[in-house]
Amino acid sequence: MLSRVADHIYWMSRYIERAENIARLMQVSVELLLDSSGPRATKSDDYWSPVLAATAMEGPFRLLYPAPQPGDSSHFLTLDERNPDSILSCVREARENARTVRDQISDEMWAELNQLYLLVDSARGRELLENTPQVFFEKIIQSSLLFDGITSATLSRTEGWNFLQLGRVLERADKTSRFLDIKTQSTATPADTALEALEWGTILRACSAQASYRRVNGTEFTLERVLEHLLFSTEFPRSIRFCVRTADELLHNISGTPTGMYSNRCEKLAGALLSRLNFSGPSDVLERGLHEYIDELQVALNETGQAVFEAYVLIPEDALRQAHRLHGFDPLGYHLQKQQQQQ
Amino acid sequence: MLLKSYRPADLFDELIDANGQIRPYYQPVADRLFPLEPHELEQKVKNLELLFLKQGVTFTVYGDERGTERVFPFDPVPRLIPGSEWEVVEAGLIQRITALNLFLYDVYHEQKILKDKIIPAEVILGAAHYRPEFVGVQVPRDTYIHVCGTDLIRDRDGRYLVLEDNGRCPSGVSYVLENRMAMKRVFPQLFGSTGVRSVDTYPADLLATLQYIAPRQTAQPNCVLLTPGVHNSAYFEHSFLARQMGIEIVEGRDLLVLDGFVYMRTTRGLQQVDVIYRRIDDDFLDPKVFRKDSMLGVPGLVDAVRRGNVALANAIGTGVADDKVTYAYVPEMIKYYLGQDPILDQVPTYLAWREEDRNYILEHLPELVVKAANESGGYGMLIGPMATKEEVEEFRLKIIATPRNYIAQPVVYFSQHPTLVDGVLEGRHVDLRPFILCGETIKVLPGGLTRVALTRGSLVVNSSQGGGSKDTWVLAR
Repeated sequence: MLSRVADHIYWMSRYIERAENIARLMQVSVELLLDSSGPRATKSDDYWSPVLAATAMEGPFRLLYPAPQPGDSSHFLTLDERNPDSILSCVREARENARTVRDQISDEMWAELNQLYLLVDSARGRELLENTPQVFFEKIIQSSLLFDGITSATLSRTEGWNFLQLGRVLERADKTSRFLDIKTQSTATPADTALEALEWGTILRACSAQASYRRVNGTEFTLERVLEHLLFSTEFPRSIRFCVRTADELLHNISGTPTGMYSNRCEKLAGALLSRLNFSGPSDVLERGLHEYIDELQVALNETGQAVFEAYVLIPEDALRQAHRLHGFDPLGYHLQKQQQQQ
Repeated sequence: MLLKSYRPADLFDELIDANGQIRPYYQPVADRLFPLEPHELEQKVKNLELLFLKQGVTFTVYGDERGTERVFPFDPVPRLIPGSEWEVVEAGLIQRITALNLFLYDVYHEQKILKDKIIPAEVILGAAHYRPEFVGVQVPRDTYIHVCGTDLIRDRDGRYLVLEDNGRCPSGVSYVLENRMAMKRVFPQLFGSTGVRSVDTYPADLLATLQYIAPRQTAQPNCVLLTPGVHNSAYFEHSFLARQMGIEIVEGRDLLVLDGFVYMRTTRGLQQVDVIYRRIDDDFLDPKVFRKDSMLGVPGLVDAVRRGNVALANAIGTGVADDKVTYAYVPEMIKYYLGQDPILDQVPTYLAWREEDRNYILEHLPELVVKAANESGGYGMLIGPMATKEEVEEFRLKIIATPRNYIAQPVVYFSQHPTLVDGVLEGRHVDLRPFILCGETIKVLPGGLTRVALTRGSLVVNSSQGGGSKDTWVLAR
C-alpha cells in the first residue's frame, strides 16, 4: 500500500472517531448541565468549558473569541470552520481523506461519510443543531458507528484495514481519557455522593458503557470501579487498555513482527504503554493523581501516533521537500498546479 | 406531453427529421419517455442528481476557495445513434487515430512529412507542445496516443465533423459509465426494446491497453494512474478509473526514480512501476526536464522513459498532434500515410500564420470562431457572432501579436437534441466525444460522452462553462 494512502486511511478514521467523540463529550455536558442544579448551570459561558478544557481547545477558543458571547463556545465546537477540531472540520477532513482514497475503500463507506458531510454542512444540519442539539449529536454518533459497521462488513482485512483501525483506536483511547478528565473539572466532591453518582453515570452513558459497567459492578458508582472499567477493562471496547491492546496487535499485523517484540519505535511505544496498563490498576492511578495519570497517557498516545507517521508515512513528504529543495516549496503554487485544466 | 412545445430549429435535429417526423430509431424511446408528465421526469432527474451528489460523482469548480464540488448536470433524454451510422464514425475515428500515431512517430523520428513539404516544418517545429527532446526516442509499440477523446459535431446536413482531437489527457469517460448506470437505474424499461450497445468493458480495455505497453512483459505489470491530486477538477474520474481497473492512483510525491527505474513508495518499501497512465500534462511530468517549478511530477521520470524502463500513456509530445493548427493538416496526413481519403470530414480552418488567411480572419472576425491553438476546455475562444465589440477587438490584437497561436473557423451551428429544461423539452446543441483506445487493436467505445450546452443558443458544451451531459446509445442495429 502506498504510504500516502495509508496516511489518508488512518486520518479518515481518526477524524470520524474524533467527530463522534466530540459529539459524545458535548452530549455529556448538556446532560450534566440539565441535571445539575449547581452554580455552573447559570453561567452560559461555562456551558462548554469542561469540554474545551478536556479536549485542550481552551487556548484556541480564547484566541478566536477573546470576549466570548453566549453560543460562541458551542459554535466553536460544532460548526466553526476555523477550529480544525470542530465537528464540521473533523467530518470534512474525514470525508476529504476518504475522497482521496476512494479507490481503496468500499462505495458504501464513502457514501456514508459523504452523506454525513453533506448533512453537517447544510442548512438542515444547522437547524438540527439549533433546535435539537441532542438529535444532532446523536446523528453524528450514529453515523460514525454505522461507518464502523460498514467498514467491518465491506473492507478486506488487508493493510488498509490495519491502518484504518489503528487511527480509530488511538483516537478512541485518547478521547476516553478525556471523558475521565471531564470529571476532574467537576465541582462535585466525593462527599456529595448523589451528584458524584450522577456524573459518573452520565459519563459512562456517553461512553456507551453504562450497561456493561452495571453488568460487572451493579448499580453503585465508585471512582475505582469506573476507572477499572474505562481504563483497564479487557472486555469493554472503548476502554483505554482495550484500545491500546488493539493498536499493539494492529501494529504487529502491519509489520509482521511477533507480539512481545518490536521492529520500530511505534511498536516499542505501544508495547510499553500496554505493559503499563497491564500491570497497574485504579490504585496506581489515584496514587499518581487522576489528572496527571491521564495527561501521561495522552502524551504516550500522541507519541505513538507520531511514531506511526514516522515509520510508515514520513518518507514521501520528506522526499517531496527534498525534490523541491532547489526551487523552494510553495504550497499555493502546488495547489494551483493541481488544478490544471483537463482536456 | 413533453414534446408538445418542442420546435426543431433551422439546423440538424437529432430527433425530428426534415419532414417533421420522429426518426424511426427514436420511436421506442419516444413511446415510453415522452408520454411522461413533466414533473415525473423532473423528479427522476432530481433523484439522480441527488444520487450523484451522494456518490460524489462531481467535478470541482475552480476559483472558489472552498473548492465547491458540483454534479455534472445530467439530461435524461438519451442521444441515439443507429448502428449503421456508428460503423462509419467508428471507421473514421480508427482511420484518424492511425494516421495521428503514424504522424507522431514520423515527427519524432525522420520527419518525412515535413521533408516532403506536406506540412510546413515551421508549423510543427514551432508548436508549443512539440518536444524536440524526444526526437529519436523509442516508445513502446511505436504508439504515442493510447487514449484519445475526439470531439465530433454534426452540421446542418447531419454530417459528423471532427472538431478537435484530444490526444493528451482527454477526460469525461467516467461520466459515460456513470450516466449509463444512472439511466439503467431510472429507465430500465427503455433498454430492453431499444438494443443498446454496452460500454461496460471500457475499464478492462483501458487496463489491457496499459499492460500492452509494459516494458517488463510479466504476468501482471504494475500499472498506476498519476493524478495531480484530489483538488483537480477531474479527480473523481481519476479515482473512478483506478478503482474500476484495480490499480493504484498515485501522486508525483508517491513516486521516485532510482538508477533510471520508477518506484512507488509503499508501507513495505519500494515497488517498481511499469506503466503510468498519467493525467497530468507533459509540462509537469519532470521538473528536471520540463517546468522546473513543477511539484506534481517526478524528478528523473523522463530519463526513465527514455531508457525504456517505464511506459507513459499517453506518450510525451502528443500535444503536437492535437494542436489546432496541426488539425488543419490531418486530412493531408491521412492521404500521406494511409493513401486513403478521410472518412470523417472536419471543419474548414483558417490559419492566422498564413498571411492570406490572417487577412481573411481579421476582416471577418464577427462571423468566425477563433481558437487559441493550444488551449482546451473551451478557454481562449471567441465566438464572433456572440461576442461584444470589445472582445472582438481584444482578439484582433492577440491574433496580430501571435498569429501562430490562432486559428479561425466558420461558425458551425451543430445539431440540437431535445433536452429537459424547466419541465419541457427544448432543443439544445450537443456534441459527441467518443473515446478511442490504441492497444493491441484499436477499440472505440460505442457512443461516448454527449455534452449539451444547457444555455439556449449556446455552442459551448464544456462542463467548466455550464455544459451538461446525456447518455449516448449506439444501437445494435
